[in-house]
Amino acid sequence: MISTTAIEHLKEKLGAQNVLYEKEDLLVLGYDSTPGVHHLPEVVVYPTSTEQVLAAMEIAQREGLPIVPRGSGTGLSGGSVPVQGGMVICLTRMNRILEIDEENLTATVEAGVVTLDLFNAVAAKGLFYPPDPGSQKISTLGGNVMENAGGLRGLKYGVTRDYVMALKCVLPDGSILTTGGKSVKDVAGYNFKDLLCGSEGTLGIITEITVKLIPPPKDKRTFLAYFNDMRTAGEAVSKIIAAKIIPSTMEIMDKATINCVEDYVKIGLPRQMAALLLIEVDGHPAMVAEEAEAVEKILREVNAAEVHVAKTAEEAASLAAARRTALSALARVSPTTLLEDATVPRSRLADTFDEIERLTEKYQLKVGTFGHAGDGNLHPTVLCDERNADEMQRAHAFYNELYEKVLAWGGTVSGEHGIGLAKKEYLARQIGPGGVAVMKRIKQSFDPKGLLNPGKIFDEGDPCSKPHVEEGFRVSH
Amino acid sequence: MSRTDDKDLKGNFKPQDAPHYDDVLQCMRCGFCLPTCPTYALTGRERSSPRGRVALARAVAEQKLEFTQAVKEESFFCLDCRACTTACPSGVRAGEVMEICRSQSHAFYPLGTAGKAFREFILQKMLPSPEKLETSMLPTRLYQRLGIQWLVRHSKVLKLGPGWMEKAEGMLPELDKPLRTQLPERIEAKGKKRGKVGFFLGCVMTLMYPGVSRQTVRVLVHQGFEVITPRNTKCCGAPHLSEGDRQTARELALFNLDLFLDQDVDYIVTDCAGCGASLKEYEELLEGQAEHAKLAKFRSKIRDITEFLAEVGLRTEGLKPVNKTVTYHEPCHLCHAQGVSAQPRKLLKQIPGVELREMAEASWCCGSAATWGLKYSEESQKVLDRKLGNVRATGAEALVTANPGCHLQLAWGVREAGMPQQVLHLMELLGEATPD
Repeated sequence: MISTTAIEHLKEKLGAQNVLYEKEDLLVLGYDSTPGVHHLPEVVVYPTSTEQVLAAMEIAQREGLPIVPRGSGTGLSGGSVPVQGGMVICLTRMNRILEIDEENLTATVEAGVVTLDLFNAVAAKGLFYPPDPGSQKISTLGGNVMENAGGLRGLKYGVTRDYVMALKCVLPDGSILTTGGKSVKDVAGYNFKDLLCGSEGTLGIITEITVKLIPPPKDKRTFLAYFNDMRTAGEAVSKIIAAKIIPSTMEIMDKATINCVEDYVKIGLPRQMAALLLIEVDGHPAMVAEEAEAVEKILREVNAAEVHVAKTAEEAASLAAARRTALSALARVSPTTLLEDATVPRSRLADTFDEIERLTEKYQLKVGTFGHAGDGNLHPTVLCDERNADEMQRAHAFYNELYEKVLAWGGTVSGEHGIGLAKKEYLARQIGPGGVAVMKRIKQSFDPKGLLNPGKIFDEGDPCSKPHVEEGFRVSH
Repeated sequence: MSRTDDKDLKGNFKPQDAPHYDDVLQCMRCGFCLPTCPTYALTGRERSSPRGRVALARAVAEQKLEFTQAVKEESFFCLDCRACTTACPSGVRAGEVMEICRSQSHAFYPLGTAGKAFREFILQKMLPSPEKLETSMLPTRLYQRLGIQWLVRHSKVLKLGPGWMEKAEGMLPELDKPLRTQLPERIEAKGKKRGKVGFFLGCVMTLMYPGVSRQTVRVLVHQGFEVITPRNTKCCGAPHLSEGDRQTARELALFNLDLFLDQDVDYIVTDCAGCGASLKEYEELLEGQAEHAKLAKFRSKIRDITEFLAEVGLRTEGLKPVNKTVTYHEPCHLCHAQGVSAQPRKLLKQIPGVELREMAEASWCCGSAATWGLKYSEESQKVLDRKLGNVRATGAEALVTANPGCHLQLAWGVREAGMPQQVLHLMELLGEATPD
């Protein structure tokens, strides 16, 4: 348990309003958006500067408290759940955009800036920040970097990592690491920046981020294609890629997802169709025209049931916004939505859809599938009820078998959500014992005492890593 | 303790009027509600967000938490603006869960004798009785007529009382005679008759804004509707739900239900967004206490006046031009609770001469929220300032809204801030355009 002295010290350094320890506050800062994982911290702090992060970390060190960084808690792998209690460092009050450098095309922000706020701020200056996680209205840049978030434009523009130029990071030993800068080329030494992106809060706490900006595309065209079966939609995606066209967005939704999203947005999505592809090509007007024509041709060739072109920018934007709500909308159907992040080489998309269908049948489950088909990143989501133990068991067996195939095909267990708590086993399967051992050694060199976000990405094999249960609260796993 | 399969787990809630367990389990914690919540914007504290509040309710149901003082505080700190309901893709209704928690609060933390007596006097004696309410406003009208108000406002004696008193006094508009007793129970339609509507005259409307509802009725009549205004209509129950008195709310609802169904009207129309929202939710409130068919029939007839006119189509011939630039503030109980958002704009655009200038965040709460604005006056001021900033940026001459609570708060805010905008109910504007 944290001592009252430590609480007092935290209040002195961070201000009383930035230190919370009432059980109601602890209870609501022990979850993220991942179902079934919840654990209480002992104290939550909201630093407002890098110095305060450092101060909080020093106190945690002294008390031997595990430290878990967190943003808005939209994570989908349990990365910010404080499984061993300790101190949650919530960075949402560090939310200033420090600089938009129009000469170097960069922006520097504090870790708690909301992704969409950055997007809008740079757009106002005629610039473009491409990464756009589905939760962009809520998620923070720090969280995006830590989970290496992807999004709807990942196919053409890549993930968060591809835009990070510099990071400021507080390490557990109290040192401040800055890595990278505004130089476009920088090959000096080990690439800490890439190591920290996607490190899920296990190596250090990022407080400042400099990202690369690009000129926005001059033109874009949005298509909505309907299909009578998922496999054909998968073939369409493979064929478009094989024709050497890289749309900025190529999103898929199956029937269950279409219906849930339509229940929420009511924009006239086709409820009877088996699948829908949302495709967007962007760039120079001449290129957009050429690519749009080629995409349309392929859609006709594979026999898409219907092809529509968005008439206005608002219509296109409302379609993308609708797609972003897919996961939450699926939660209408069932109390629990168990989502995965399977990603396969794009030539395997159609096979993956077949496999999902087969396994849905085999395990007698309700599954909604949507995802970023263009980059092979799918989110088959089991719609279940966590109160039904048998159903939950079948859901896990479903994923277990699916991942076996995905890995055999050269895929990965996470395209954008990270490993966190939910996918440790799968990761070990993917990278093997050698891979896990190297990761552990890297972790050791940053965090010798193992205080930073313990229990995430891989098991430390530490007997102390057993979940910590507080009096009066039950904890679910 | 193991997980239970109980469909309607109550856990640490009192069994009477507990949130349905399925309703809290529905939240998958995606956080789409966070950027839409005024109290989360104020505090940045997860437990003051819809996601956090639902998690607290869930913890009480799962016996991870007692119904603590903090849960009570959060249930009343929630504005019940329902912006989170609009934003939630999963269909969670956090505002309603908190409304139910308010009634739980009274079960867990009974008021002291004096507080209880005051609350019961207001909720169970005054509000259910239109006559008592009218009589009680008499001294206030006298107070205004005799110029005491001017004296009081300028001498600052109210600074001595509790903070909310001064604000409440400052918010009072110039009061006219209540409309209820003046309005004929039945008024014939003008021109080609299009139907028969029941008019639900709200308490705040008849007492504070009789002029607005007078216009509403005039507009309805001019639009070709026979208007029935039952004189013994009782309060819709919204204040009771807001204060956590679900029992009195049910009694009032049962009375109004029969009263209006007996009138044999095609529609039941109101110009108070709060009443409209409450009437539309009688179906849930009276679940199991009245015949379902009756409730469904009642529900199908309720329309906000703007929703109604947009639906039946506004007769625009003969309307007089009203040359004004206006901006529109969406009442929470209209846009979020009733989903009526496009219709008022459609009407505004149909009034000749009116130029609509959209404000940023038109559907963000104004900070009034029944008695919230008085209980949390400092926080309310911050919410209001954000709204006034957006109003100011439009440079419009008039600020139009459609709910008396917003009307009071905005008129007060505009006056305090020294802004030039005239604050109007949409029906006042339409009334101005309607010839005699």
